[in-house]
Amino acid sequence: MKTVNTLKTIAIAILFLGFGSCSSDDDVSQAAIESNTVSNLPAPQTGGQGQEIGGDFTKFDFSTGLETTSDTEWDIAFRGTTIAINGGVSTGTADEPERNGDAAAAIATGTFASVVTAEGLVFTQDASAGYAIPAGSDNGWYNYNFMTNVISAIPGKVLVIRTRDGRYAKVEILSYYENQDTTASSRFYTFNYVYNPNLGDTSL
Amino acid sequence: MILSSDMCKYLFISVLSFIAFAKAVAQQTVIDSTATEKLEEIVLTATRTERQLSSLPLPVTLISKKNILQSGTIRLDEILNEQTGIITVSDESGFEGVQIQGISSDYILILVDGVPLVGRSAGNFDLSRITVGNIKQIEVVKGPASSLYGSEALGGVINIITEKPKTEKLNGNVSYRLGSFTQQDINLDVKKRFDKLRIGFFANRFSSNGYDLSPETGGQTVNPFENYTFNTRLYYDFNESISLFTSARYYDQTQDAGFTFEDIEYKGDSNEKEWNAHARLDHKWDEKLSTSYEFYYTNYRANERLEDPIEEDAFTDSDFNQTLIRPEIRANYKLESAGTITAGVGYQLESLDRTYFDERVDFNSQYVYGQYDVNPTEKLNVIAGARFDNHSEYSNQFSPKLAARYQLSESIAIKASVGYGFKAPDFRQLYFDFTNSAVGYTVLGYNVAVDKLNDLQAQGQILDVVVPLNELDDPLEAESSIGYNLGMTFKKGKWNSELNFFRNDFKNLIDTRIIARKNNGQNVFSYVNFDEIYTTGLEVNTSYKVSDAIKLSAGYQLLYAFDKTQEKAVEDGNVFVRDAQTNQTVAIDRSEYFGLVNRSRHNGNFKIFYDLKKYKANVNLRLLYRSKYAQFDTNGNGLIDSYDTSFIGGYVTANIAANKTFYQDFNLQVGANNLLDYTDNNIPTQPGIQGYIKLNYQF
Repeated sequence: MKTVNTLKTIAIAILFLGFGSCSSDDDVSQAAIESNTVSNLPAPQTGGQGQEIGGDFTKFDFSTGLETTSDTEWDIAFRGTTIAINGGVSTGTADEPERNGDAAAAIATGTFASVVTAEGLVFTQDASAGYAIPAGSDNGWYNYNFMTNVISAIPGKVLVIRTRDGRYAKVEILSYYENQDTTASSRFYTFNYVYNPNLGDTSL
Repeated sequence: MILSSDMCKYLFISVLSFIAFAKAVAQQTVIDSTATEKLEEIVLTATRTERQLSSLPLPVTLISKKNILQSGTIRLDEILNEQTGIITVSDESGFEGVQIQGISSDYILILVDGVPLVGRSAGNFDLSRITVGNIKQIEVVKGPASSLYGSEALGGVINIITEKPKTEKLNGNVSYRLGSFTQQDINLDVKKRFDKLRIGFFANRFSSNGYDLSPETGGQTVNPFENYTFNTRLYYDFNESISLFTSARYYDQTQDAGFTFEDIEYKGDSNEKEWNAHARLDHKWDEKLSTSYEFYYTNYRANERLEDPIEEDAFTDSDFNQTLIRPEIRANYKLESAGTITAGVGYQLESLDRTYFDERVDFNSQYVYGQYDVNPTEKLNVIAGARFDNHSEYSNQFSPKLAARYQLSESIAIKASVGYGFKAPDFRQLYFDFTNSAVGYTVLGYNVAVDKLNDLQAQGQILDVVVPLNELDDPLEAESSIGYNLGMTFKKGKWNSELNFFRNDFKNLIDTRIIARKNNGQNVFSYVNFDEIYTTGLEVNTSYKVSDAIKLSAGYQLLYAFDKTQEKAVEDGNVFVRDAQTNQTVAIDRSEYFGLVNRSRHNGNFKIFYDLKKYKANVNLRLLYRSKYAQFDTNGNGLIDSYDTSFIGGYVTANIAANKTFYQDFNLQVGANNLLDYTDNNIPTQPGIQGYIKLNYQF
């Protein structure tokens, strides 16, 4: 009996300690929001210009902040101007990665800093009818200029991503060209992102 | 919408009763026989009757033959560009279109002797097509004039008036001009009267070796070209009251269209041909009533064929063939002190066959118009008019106009007018079927969009349709505007000044939008009534006669031209820009929204004409200023803001010409255009300094 009572005491003590830490040291248990810039992420594709588009997407994982070749541990992926997310189903074009997560996307309008929450946004997933981040000039994130043949990220379009495992991130694409130089090679993404690693926390 | 036959009848009866009423009014009044024929500066375009320029309630610019000759201008774009508030703007193909009150070429009607010219490239009318060698005068009426002229007369009407032979002695001139870039202009103009018959013949050949603004790149900015214009006019006076006018005009231009792209030298020509046949029978029934029966036919053809000389396959092969046939009957009924009534009824048949159309497309329309021009008091002139157009392809248009002029004092008069203008959707906007082979996007005309989209869908090219297709059921609306002009004229002694405030509100402007997305990641575009824009500003013109020999003139236009939707989006803080320096995105401020492309806030001109009578010579200097303007959006936010990089800075062009007459009949002209040698690679129509020398023999 004695041992049992001792165990009880310890358990209660731990319980109190646990509560205590919760109330006094809130910040410590919550991971910090990560803010980063990714430069020159290559996004090659084959075909285009009227031909069928193909080629592997370049996948990106917000939790590591790195490009990845994993078939499961990715959130968003790039091929040419097309952006896929790891949620929903394939749109039906060649060489799309399998969607095995629960990612979703929404496009908010505002400066990057002004988008502070994912709350209230309508998230969609990739579907047979099209990508969650719509493809084509002026549909989603970019504008194609017929005069200069330059693809610009539409300023004020902030991609808000729910990651494959229910975290939130926001992305502002800065450039589609290597070293942000529109005279250099295209299909190189430079973007700012903010990632909140806390499950279900919508603040960004 | 098709006009019911009852409605047609009703309209016809209305016009008839209008004339009958006018006749009744006239019979009660005593006829004042003050003849207006002797007065100079007679304008036809503003009212379709002869009116003295200074008496008109509308803003009108009149360019005389003397002015054209002395300035040494040879094509229409050059002389128009020297007028206040008229700017020529080159589009991406290098065509020079005109802009009036900030309104672009698409919305400005170009007439020769009162009948319209056709043949536009994506809406832009290339004014350099027209030689000014046989022009009596050019009349420009600013602001909407659809009440008389129907479609396209939103921003104004430019009417080129040819000269009627007067004397029985054979007269005319022959001239040769040689200028920079081996530019050659040859004119022959012959006029003669044989009792009742008068004949005018005109021929012009114009050629240039072109020029190159960027020698570091392959090919030239403007390739060599040559063109010919022939015009024969016959006038026959059957008797005092019946006279016939006929005119046949032919224009033919061939231009080298070759260019180098990715080390392949494509070779080929582009060719333009234009025919105009115009006949008018004028019948003067009595002092009061006159009628005109007019028939007009015009055909414009353009084709361009380019091929790769090694592979021998056609790179491009495009055709464009547009025809317009228009009979019209007009009547003028003079009530003298009670005013003049003008009425007309006409039928218009247009057809276009071109590359990217399935088949030839025909439009037809019927129209009727009426105008009442009256002086209720000695100091007040009022013009009220309206026109009704019934068209086979778009909804009917009713275009009213009201204008008034009040003589405040001997030297000051006030003018005000308000009018409606419209532009019918053009063939391209309705029937285009174009897929860009390089990029893969598709543009479909509104009327064929649903069928073509179904075809694409059947071929499995469509990912999804983003617009409910029943939105395409109703016909595309005509683009329309309401224009307001309020002005003042001051005429005293050596001063002649005019001030005009203008405002034009456009709605239903047709623009492209995405209707579907394709599997290749590109879009299917079609046309939609979308934009609402406005242009507003003021224009000032002043001329001062220093002495009999020296005349100074100055002009200025202030212009604000904005898209209303974009303006609101900017005001709401919904338009952003990425600052290139900081890479930060910021909302743009209202003051950073620059407005529509190709619009300069300020335009000005200053001219000196100096007549050295003693030496039978004259010399003139014309300075033209245009403040900065933007060509296109460069930062992806869809509008022109101060962060964009496509601005062309303000610039001045100076043109100078000197004329000397010798041996009575010979005239030597020496001049230079763009004396300051201003060039910019982004203004392909502006070469550097161009000198020229011209010899003219008058007989």
